[in-house]
Amino acid sequence: MKQADVCVIGAGPGGYVAAIKAAQLGKKVIIVERDKWGGVCLNVGCIPSKALITAAHFYDQIQHAEEMGFNIGKTTIDFKKMQSWKSGVVNKLTSGVSQLLKANGCETICGNAQFISPSELEVKSSNGGGKETIKATDFIIATGSRPVQIPGFEYDGKNILNSTDALELTSMPKHVAVIGGGYIGLEIGSFYQKFGVEVTIIEATKGLLTGVTDPDCAAVIQRKLKKAGVDFLFNAKAVGYKKSGSDLSVTISVDGKEQKVPCDKILVTVGRKPNSDELGLQKIGVKIDGRGFIEVNKQLKTNVPHIYAIGDVVGQPMLAHKGMREGIIVAEVIAGKNVAMDVKTIPAVIFTDPEIASAGMMVEEAQGKGYEVGVGQFPYAANGRALTMNAAEGFVKFVVDKKTNVVLGVHIVGAEASQMISEAALAIEMGATAEDIAATIHPHPTLPEMMMEAAEATFGPPIHIFTRANREAAASRPPAKSP
Amino acid sequence: MATIDVKLPDIGEGVTEGEVVRWLVKEGDTVKHDQPLVEVMTDKATVEIPSSADGKVTKLTAKEGQVVKVGGALLSLDGTSTKQEAPSKGAPGPAAKSAPGLQAAAPTQNRPALTMASSTQSTDVYPPAAGSHVLATPSTRRFAREAGIDINAIRGTGPVGRVTRDDVQRGGNGGAGSNGKQGLGAIAAARPVYQPMYTPTTMVPQSGEERKPFRGIRKKIAENLVRSKQIIPHFTHADEADVTALVAWRSRMKEVAEARGVKLTYLPFIMKALVSTCREFPNFNASIDDAAGEIVIKHAFNVGFAADTPEGLLVPVVKNVESKNLLDVGHEIITLAEKARTGKLAPDDMKHGSITVTNIGSIGGVYATPIINHPEVAIIGVYEIQKKPVVINNEIKIRDMMNVTATCDHRLIDGAQAAHFLKRFITRLENPDSMLLEMV
Repeated sequence: MKQADVCVIGAGPGGYVAAIKAAQLGKKVIIVERDKWGGVCLNVGCIPSKALITAAHFYDQIQHAEEMGFNIGKTTIDFKKMQSWKSGVVNKLTSGVSQLLKANGCETICGNAQFISPSELEVKSSNGGGKETIKATDFIIATGSRPVQIPGFEYDGKNILNSTDALELTSMPKHVAVIGGGYIGLEIGSFYQKFGVEVTIIEATKGLLTGVTDPDCAAVIQRKLKKAGVDFLFNAKAVGYKKSGSDLSVTISVDGKEQKVPCDKILVTVGRKPNSDELGLQKIGVKIDGRGFIEVNKQLKTNVPHIYAIGDVVGQPMLAHKGMREGIIVAEVIAGKNVAMDVKTIPAVIFTDPEIASAGMMVEEAQGKGYEVGVGQFPYAANGRALTMNAAEGFVKFVVDKKTNVVLGVHIVGAEASQMISEAALAIEMGATAEDIAATIHPHPTLPEMMMEAAEATFGPPIHIFTRANREAAASRPPAKSP
Repeated sequence: MATIDVKLPDIGEGVTEGEVVRWLVKEGDTVKHDQPLVEVMTDKATVEIPSSADGKVTKLTAKEGQVVKVGGALLSLDGTSTKQEAPSKGAPGPAAKSAPGLQAAAPTQNRPALTMASSTQSTDVYPPAAGSHVLATPSTRRFAREAGIDINAIRGTGPVGRVTRDDVQRGGNGGAGSNGKQGLGAIAAARPVYQPMYTPTTMVPQSGEERKPFRGIRKKIAENLVRSKQIIPHFTHADEADVTALVAWRSRMKEVAEARGVKLTYLPFIMKALVSTCREFPNFNASIDDAAGEIVIKHAFNVGFAADTPEGLLVPVVKNVESKNLLDVGHEIITLAEKARTGKLAPDDMKHGSITVTNIGSIGGVYATPIINHPEVAIIGVYEIQKKPVVINNEIKIRDMMNVTATCDHRLIDGAQAAHFLKRFITRLENPDSMLLEMV
C-alpha cells in the first residue's frame, strides 16, 4: 500500500505537467504510466511525426535545390537511420520527462491502473511485478486517447496501419490509401508523398477539415497536395479491403457505387477515442458521456469528489497543449486555489506543407455569435522573407469585430504558420484590437510582418499589397495640395 | 499541540467584514472551545466570536478598532482543534467560498462538498469563466477569480470596453457603483461595499478640540447612510392626517391592551396601516437588485423602526407584520426597543427589513427628511400629534393632527405614486375602524 496526496494516472503531456505542478505546490505525488513516459504525444504522436515531417521537408528541399544553384545529384534515403534519428529525439524528450518527474519528487510507477474505490487505485505492474494499491486524497485521470478502429479494418501493423504504425515504417510503401482526411491523415499523407509514395485520401465528408479549419486555408492545402499528385476521394465510405497475394485494395462506396482503390498499405486515421473504459470508472460512479469523455467542470472536477480528469479523456480538442494547461489548473485547484479553465482560445496547428495554424473564431463562428465581422488578409507572396524562403504560398487572415476592431480569430496557412500563431493567441487572450498589432513594430524581414499587415488590412489599406479596396480608397481621396 | 488561527467566520448573509471592538481575552489566557474571545461589530450589531478550540492564546493578531475581512485572522491559539470546519451557510457561491468558518488551518481544508449526484457542468465553479465577449487579460481574469468576482458582470472602462485590473479592484471594492460611470452595482457576485465618494480630508489637529476614534456603531451607521445616499435618488412627499379618531380609539383600547400586558402606542397601528397600504402598492415593499438588474417585490412585510439608542440609530425589524395582530406587533416593538436600548439586539433582529417607519414625533418637530434604509425603497415618517385648528364644513374645529412623509427611491417610485400611497395610508389612519376589514 502506497499513500499520496495526489495520484496522477497517465504520464502524457497533461499528466506529467499536473504531477510536476502538484509537487511544486507541496503535494506528495505518485504518477502511474502503463506504457511510456510522455504518452502518445512524445512517443507516437506530435514529436515523432514532426521529426519525420522535418526529414521529408528537408528531402523535398533537396529535390528543389537546383534552382538555388545546387547540383546535388541523386539522393538516397536510409529509412532505418532516419527512424533511429527520430527515436533519438523521442528518447531525449521522454527521458527528460521522467527525470523532471523524479527531480520534482514525484514517485513514478509503471503499470495498469484500476480504481477499486474512489480513494484507492490498484496498479498491476507492467514488467511482471505484482499488484500494488495506491491510496490518495485526490486522483487526476489523464489517460488520453487511442486511435478509433473502424469495422472491417482491424489494425494489424502490416496491411492496416494506425498512426503509430505509420510512424515506425523503415521502408516506404508504393501506394498508401489513407482513410480519413483529418489532420493526422493529412500530416502523415503529405510526408509520405514527399518520400515518393503515391497517396490516396479517402474522406467520408465533402471536403478537407470541414468545420474545424478556415475553408480558405484548407483549400490551399488541397490545391498543393493535388498538384503534388495526391488523390482525393470525397463523400467516400471505406467498406472493406481485399488482399490477394501481394495486391491490396480498399473497397469504397461513393454515392452508392462501389469502386476499388489499389494500394499496398492502408492507413486508418478516422479519429481518436478517449481511454475512459479501462479504469473501472463506472464502478466508482464517474460520469462518462455518450462519446466516452469523462464529464468535468471548468475546474476539471468529475462528479465524484476528489477525482479530477484532464486532457484527451475529457473532450475536444484533443491537443497536448490543452492537456498541459488543464494539468496546471487541476494541480492548482487541488492545492486550494480558485482557478479554472478560463481561456479564450486553444490555438491549433496542422503540420501539413504548408502548415495551417489558427487561434480564435472562424468567420462563420463569429457571425453565429452575433458579431459584425471584418476580415483582413495578407498573402505570403507579398512578404520579403517568404520569398527568400521560397515559400510564397499562403496567407494570414484576421477576423475582427467590425465595431471595435477587437481580434476574434486569426487563421494562417503558409510556411512556419505554427511559429506565428502564438502572437494571435496572445492578442485574443489580451482582448487586443487589430490596431494594437498593426501598431507594434515587427522586425523586417520576417514572416510575422504579415501579422502586422493583415491586422492593418482590417481597418485600412496595408502598405505592401494593393487591392481593389485600396484603389477605391485612393480614388476617393482628394488630390494632395501643393504647398 | 499546534498553532491554530482563529478567523473571522461568515456570520451571515452579506457580512464581508467586521470591526474588532473589544478583546475579551488577552495573550497568555487559556480558553475553552466556544468561549467568547472577542466582540466584533458587523452590520450594526456587535457579536461575540467564540473560540474554535481549547488552548492558550499566543497572539492577538487583530487590534481593537481594526476592520477584519471574513476569513481574516483574529488571534492564534496554541492548542488542539476540537471542531472541524463549520458548515458553510447559505447557497454555494461567494459566501460559501469565503466561508472558512471557525476551523483551524488544517491541511485538508477547501474541500468543496460535491456529492455523487450533483451535476458537474460548471455549476460549482465560482466565479464562472469569462464569456467570449469579455475583454480582459488572462492575469486580470485570474485576479478577478481569486477575488471571487464574476468578471462577466464588470463593465470595463478600458479601450473598447476592456476590463482592467483597476475595474476589477473597484468592482470588488465598490467603486463600480461610486464612480457613477457604470451604473450601480455593476458587480453581480461580490456584494458591493460602497466607499465614500469623496476624498477624505485631512484636518490638522488644533488646540481646543478633542479627538476620539470614529468607529463602532457610529462608523457603521455612517457607512450605511452614505451608501443609501449614493445609490438612491431620494424624494420626500409630505401630507397631513387627521388622527382624532385614532387618538380616541387608542385611549379607549389602552387599558384593554394593558390588561393583556401590552403598553399600546400608535406604532403598531401605523405599521398595520402601512402594511395594508403596501399591499395596494407593491412597489413600496420592494428592493432593486442592481446587480441582477431586477426589481424585487417582497411578499413578507418586515417593518423596521428607527430606534434611538445611547450608541446611535438602530433599526430593529418586526417580521411578518401582515400575519400578526396589533397586540403581537405592539408586544414585539416593545421587546425589540428594549433590546436596542440595552445593546442586546442580535444581527437577525435587524435583518430582512422590507420598509421602515421613523417616528420622530415623540421628540417633536414638524417634518424631517429621513434617509432610506437601503436596499429598501421607502421610509415613512410620522410626526408629533398636535391639536390644531382645522376648517371642517366652514367651521374651525380643534382636531388631532399628525404630519406624515413618504421618502421614496425615485428609481422605482414616482411622485404621483407616493402621493396616492400616502393618501391611502392617511385614509387608514383617519378611519381606525376600517382596520377591522383588514384584520388578520
